[in-house]
Amino acid sequence: MSFFGFETKLPRDRDGSGSKGFFETSDPFADIARAHALEDDDVIDFEDTYDGLGDQLPDDQDEFNDDTFGAGGADTSVGRDFDFFGKTAQVSDVIGEEQVRYSLQNPNSARVAPQPAAPAVQPAASKTKRSGYEKYSDPGYIPDLQAKSSVWGVSQKKPEPVAAAPAASTASRKMMSLEEVEAQMRQQGHNTSTPAAEAFMRSMVDSQYPQPQHLQTLPDGFPPVPPEFLHAQIKQGHLPPGMPHPPPGMPELYGGPGPMPPGVPLHMMQNANLPPQSMPPAGPRHVGPPQAQRPQQPQLPHLPQQQQVPLPNRTSANGIPVITNPQQLRDLTEEQRNAYLVEDAKRAKRNHKIFLLSRGNGLMTPQDKNFITRIQLQQLVAAAGNVADSDPEAVLAEDFYYQVYSQIRGAPRQHPPPTPGPLRPDLSVSDGQQARADNHMQRMQQQVQRAVEAAKAKPKNKQLIIEGSLGKISFSNAKAPKPMLNIKRPDSSEGPKPKKQSDLSLSDRKSILTNLEGVYSSLMAMEDMERTMPPPPEEGDAEAIQVHMEWRQKLHSLNQKLWRSLKVMEPIVPNSTTPHPFIAFLSYPKGKKAIPRIFRHIDQEQRVTILTMIVVHLDSLDVVRLAQPVPGEAQPSLGVREAIDLFSLAVMPCLLGYVNEAPFNIIIGLLGLVINQTHVQTVARTKVGLGILTMLLSRAEIVKEAGQASEHDWQQWVQKFNILFDTLELGLNDIFPGTISSGDDMYVWQFLAAVGIGASPEQQQRLVIAVKDRVMETVSYSKTLPADMGSQRLSNVNLFMRAIGLDVELLG
Amino acid sequence: MLFFSFFKTLTNQTVTIELKNDIRIRGILKSVDQYLNIKLDDIEVLELAKYPHLSSVKNMFIRGSVVRYVMLPRSEVDVGLLEDATRREAANQAGKAR
Repeated sequence: MSFFGFETKLPRDRDGSGSKGFFETSDPFADIARAHALEDDDVIDFEDTYDGLGDQLPDDQDEFNDDTFGAGGADTSVGRDFDFFGKTAQVSDVIGEEQVRYSLQNPNSARVAPQPAAPAVQPAASKTKRSGYEKYSDPGYIPDLQAKSSVWGVSQKKPEPVAAAPAASTASRKMMSLEEVEAQMRQQGHNTSTPAAEAFMRSMVDSQYPQPQHLQTLPDGFPPVPPEFLHAQIKQGHLPPGMPHPPPGMPELYGGPGPMPPGVPLHMMQNANLPPQSMPPAGPRHVGPPQAQRPQQPQLPHLPQQQQVPLPNRTSANGIPVITNPQQLRDLTEEQRNAYLVEDAKRAKRNHKIFLLSRGNGLMTPQDKNFITRIQLQQLVAAAGNVADSDPEAVLAEDFYYQVYSQIRGAPRQHPPPTPGPLRPDLSVSDGQQARADNHMQRMQQQVQRAVEAAKAKPKNKQLIIEGSLGKISFSNAKAPKPMLNIKRPDSSEGPKPKKQSDLSLSDRKSILTNLEGVYSSLMAMEDMERTMPPPPEEGDAEAIQVHMEWRQKLHSLNQKLWRSLKVMEPIVPNSTTPHPFIAFLSYPKGKKAIPRIFRHIDQEQRVTILTMIVVHLDSLDVVRLAQPVPGEAQPSLGVREAIDLFSLAVMPCLLGYVNEAPFNIIIGLLGLVINQTHVQTVARTKVGLGILTMLLSRAEIVKEAGQASEHDWQQWVQKFNILFDTLELGLNDIFPGTISSGDDMYVWQFLAAVGIGASPEQQQRLVIAVKDRVMETVSYSKTLPADMGSQRLSNVNLFMRAIGLDVELLG
Repeated sequence: MLFFSFFKTLTNQTVTIELKNDIRIRGILKSVDQYLNIKLDDIEVLELAKYPHLSSVKNMFIRGSVVRYVMLPRSEVDVGLLEDATRREAANQAGKAR
């Protein structure tokens, strides 16, 4: 045994079944496999394994053994002259005794139970987990002579050589396998492998009752005791070898009405079987003089024996007999033994698990735990804001992009929102662990929620003014540093700014961009309003109707705000150099992009106003004005082309959507506006201009086909159409973009088709003549192109040809 | 929280991250936190010859403060929505400042 309880043996001396180091744990699982392997021949016969070395020992020179090893008989003493430590310890020991006696007299602390003569020097002690200090608290301690043998390399754990003497005499007895020993230990140790403190409490309680308590708590991982000791002690009727020594510092409470008078400290009893010389001098008030104990000493072994007697008829709950003795195990049937071993393995596994878990017990103070909890709370709060899930507004404010993006793209949410509200008892009953984990999680989240709410609700006191003091104390943190200057912001409503703004032109860049942002913020506010739309009120539910009305009111005021910031209703200044604010608004990409969103939130009247505005200013629209073909250049610059594409993608569908539902008189009015207010030939040379004209013409055609047009309206339309046709006829060749090879001219053919359908036969004739050259060119050009591109071009032309009752096929 | 919110939508996308020490790493964005620390998986170091010590690294955690650029897949960014989110963020900031 080493001083610190470390493993002192060399690896080669270890036999696996021996005691483990202080920090090692036994592996109970390893035994399961072995248990199965040994089922058939679980008895290792000593005769089979003993190599007979013991017979070769020369016995004739044993006389000096005592001199060498000092073992001698029970009454041989080596004296204690060298024991300086022991002498010193006696003094402190007396003090300790006094304390014990005091505690005994004091009823509150009279918990130190009577102690039998614990087998302190039993060989098993050298194998137990101990600090190694115990013995040094014993003034009479002489280093255990048997323990020394390990220093010589004679392992006490090696079964064969050491066990030879006792085992040989009972050769028929089987050797206990490791698992049997363990099994026995477990039986006795019950299975409360709780930490030492609990074991102590347990034994304290037990000791108060008269019945002897042998089922001492056995800390798991307790090193198994080698079989030879087991045998020896069972034969002697001694304490079971599996008997653990309680952890250091704990009184050994083997219970039972021992022969010792109560109140005798442990060390005294340990001393009892030492020679008289080594007895500590008894204090004058000593309760039990050591001499009185000596005659009783021989009785000691018998007492535990009674308790140790195995009760064969005892059975555990599951019908498997309680095994306290390996003998029993052997008597069992194969089946029972298997069941027992399985049972044992299970228990061992569980105990091992508990032991592993219990190792960390008491490692963290409550403060540490609080600290960790705070960190975890922080993480939870930070993670995806799932705490605030109940408050969609807060989530949107903090996490707008992610939330909306997830909705649009259907991205899986990382943290599914917990179902708020009370715990779900139905679940927790039905599927145990899962639900329990859920509940924990929920409870945690609720706690976090409360914590966050509390933190939010806490008034943010930025300053502390102590009464009577001259100054203030301002608090600061990293997020809100201490304000050095305290300047009052003027309320924006009072400021002179708005007036100044109105002095400036409404179409300068800055104010246009300001308007744009105003539009966007109104849009966002309206979109938020839509999200919070109350459910449609039911009949008679006055409150719901009230809520709904308020909501509509708000929406309407937002709509008005949006409308104002669009500046559509600004007066039109004829021949002004600066474009109309709304047209300027449309000249920015984000203005164009805003149109679809705006159209969702405005009514038909507002839509027609916007459409009218665009049509009136068609030739000052950037996508028309800048898109005029420049001589020498095949197509407009890249920026303009992008603007045109964006306009076609964003604005045109909205306009088209409205026009397709617009009444005929509005279409007529719009066409009139195009003819009167704009330079038609210029407009017709651009994609957007042609697009709008196509839109109007095709809508008129649809109305006519459907027979919805009154005669009067139709007359008006034809009149306007004739004017348009006459205006356009001269420049029909100019409406094609660039040369024939420059690509996309489909929108032109669409326009021509729309014109052709509405035209009279005479007008169709003129139309064909005007574009005949382009048609022929395109047909011949398409033959030089790859098949798919060629057919594409031809089908474009065919759009027009079909409209006037012809086909490219006819051209040959 | 705008950037955090934004990068959260890019999880499981392939991004290229340039660190302030010029190392460029391409990998699958596994997660990002409020400090814009980044977890990358299946990484691939560009110009690996310069940084042989990274040749066996398969995934990494990058502290947010050392990131210079993050190159994103364009198709995964909703520009309009991002613009709106930016407006909201600005409004929030203005609201807080007041």
